[in-house]
Amino acid sequence: MKVRINVVKVLVAAGTLAVATGAAAQSKGQFTVSVGANMLKPHVESGAISAPALPNSLGDIDKDTQPVAVITYGLTDNISVETAIGTPYKHKIHGAGAIEGTGQLGTAEAMPAIALLQYRFFEPNAMFRPFVGLGVTYAMFRKETGSFPMTALTNPGGGTPTTFSIDNKWTYSGQVGLQFNVNEKWFANAAYIKTKLSTDVHFSTGQRQHMKLDPDSFILSVGYKF
Amino acid sequence: MRKTSFALALLTAAVLTACGGNGPSAGDQTPKTKFSSQITFGDSLSDVGTYAVGSIAAMGGGQFNINGNNTAVSPELTGKNYSQLIAAQLGLPAPCAAQTGLMGTAAAGFSAPVTDHPECFSYAQGGSRVTNPIGPNNIALAKPGAVSLGALTVPVVTQIANHLKKTGGKFKADDLVIVMAGGNDALELLDELSIAATAAGGQALAVSLVQQLAPGTTNPQTGAAAITAAIQAEAAKGSSADLIIKAAITAAAMNGNTAAVANAATIGAKAGADAQAAGLAYSTAHGPDQVKAMATAGAELGAYVKTQIIGNGANYVVVNNLPDVSISPAAKAKSADTQKLIGAMVNAFNDQLKAAVAGEAKVLYVDLAAISRDQSVNPTPYGLTNTTTPACDLSPAKNPLGSSLVCNKNNLIAGDVSHYMFADTVHPTPFEHSLIARYVLEQMTVKGWL
Repeated sequence: MKVRINVVKVLVAAGTLAVATGAAAQSKGQFTVSVGANMLKPHVESGAISAPALPNSLGDIDKDTQPVAVITYGLTDNISVETAIGTPYKHKIHGAGAIEGTGQLGTAEAMPAIALLQYRFFEPNAMFRPFVGLGVTYAMFRKETGSFPMTALTNPGGGTPTTFSIDNKWTYSGQVGLQFNVNEKWFANAAYIKTKLSTDVHFSTGQRQHMKLDPDSFILSVGYKF
Repeated sequence: MRKTSFALALLTAAVLTACGGNGPSAGDQTPKTKFSSQITFGDSLSDVGTYAVGSIAAMGGGQFNINGNNTAVSPELTGKNYSQLIAAQLGLPAPCAAQTGLMGTAAAGFSAPVTDHPECFSYAQGGSRVTNPIGPNNIALAKPGAVSLGALTVPVVTQIANHLKKTGGKFKADDLVIVMAGGNDALELLDELSIAATAAGGQALAVSLVQQLAPGTTNPQTGAAAITAAIQAEAAKGSSADLIIKAAITAAAMNGNTAAVANAATIGAKAGADAQAAGLAYSTAHGPDQVKAMATAGAELGAYVKTQIIGNGANYVVVNNLPDVSISPAAKAKSADTQKLIGAMVNAFNDQLKAAVAGEAKVLYVDLAAISRDQSVNPTPYGLTNTTTPACDLSPAKNPLGSSLVCNKNNLIAGDVSHYMFADTVHPTPFEHSLIARYVLEQMTVKGWL
């Protein structure tokens, strides 16, 4: 807070820079939208599929990259809130541990909804503005899709294909990032978000698997200040 | 204004994420390789009903399993063996026995015409060995006057030849061939060893009795002859050691050995101990022969896979090795030495089989021995609740054959046996078969076939 006031004081005293145009970078009451790509990479620590299974039957999940729009609103010149919208992340699920080498056993779509409260360093029109954020995430999974090998490994010859669902979870995320102001309207944005996420996979056979996903998110985007 | 648009943006995000109706689905359930048929060679572990005839069928039996679809009792009690589950998973027709019939005692209902079924490709028969045509319960092993099942026990080498006769000497390029044998070679070789060891023990018993009793007779030379004759007469009747000892002592007493009757207990004990020692010595000396014989059988099976199956055009051959028989209830009922011997026999068979098919890209060698051993020491992850007790009530009153061949939901032991490993003293339950099917399919997937 104190920092903000000081910054404002400095800006007012100088009476120069972008204030004249009324469009400083991420200043109070300002919207920015940046568009880019987000690579969502789970950091998987898989539990074993519950009985009946080969002991230590684990899972692994591939990363996916999708377009993303990052929307930020300046509550003050230094404090902002941010959310992101994008297309669902399509993750391939592989066998690991004792069932390593079985290849792709399924796919699922992840739709994480995130709301971050951020602190942005330096004055709104500084060329580089690092920021940190902390927020809540709702990790939602959908379109969990099985496969022939998944059925073969869980219900061979049973006549019922195996399906699975992944529990949706509320959790929290931390963020570090850097905004590069190209000019008064355009900027580039790079951010890294770490989310704590543990969830459970439920198979139609009654089997269960705990998964620690703790995804890393790498965002690169180009934005415009409104 | 700006606040409104921010709220709108949040709303958009919320709507996008909430956009649902996208629940779980099964996905593509077709295997990577579309097999045209499944051809199975082997023994009781893969038999789908060779002996489901005569009184076996009447008793609700036919497979070496918990027979019948009892999924109403418990979802695990499918009555299916691993080969049937694999065929179902691959979308292939239910396997049927290529030959049915029994050549045993007609009065017991164990005689039924031996019929070939040209449309069926499951050649596996209970009792079949790798090369030797005489397996357990074959009529050739029947004791005179005793009831015999008369199992056909066509060996794997002939099973393959019978298939080739049907198909003009060739496998199709998209046939899935499954081979699993060796268990009956182990059982028969153990039986032979046990019979020979018993004979050696009997001989030692006679020698010991003569040595102990003849010197006390009036004329040791004629005494010895008389005692020997008495022993032989008793042994010919198939009598127990106790009766043989009794006959020898009586003969000694009649020939003037006055101390014989009084010392009967000690003489008998020593003779028994001598017999046991001789039997054990025989087993120890000749156990390695049986291990060698198993190694030969394993090498032969591997050679058949290469020359008769792949050599005749098959591209997909699953070779299941011999599960570790030494962990079966049948083995656990035997001495520690015998269990060790069985373990060595299984290893010798599998080592040779594995070596014979090594480097053969068209063969998938599945190590069921390792899985069975792991299951016996670490049953929980597999979902097994019992790995030592047969699920079937094998008492003569409930099961006249003492075999899973006639086991069904009506002659199980009390309690929930749905997750037991063994149906009888050597054969798996449907649940264990489903674990085997899973593992074979997992290995086929890793191999890139599925």
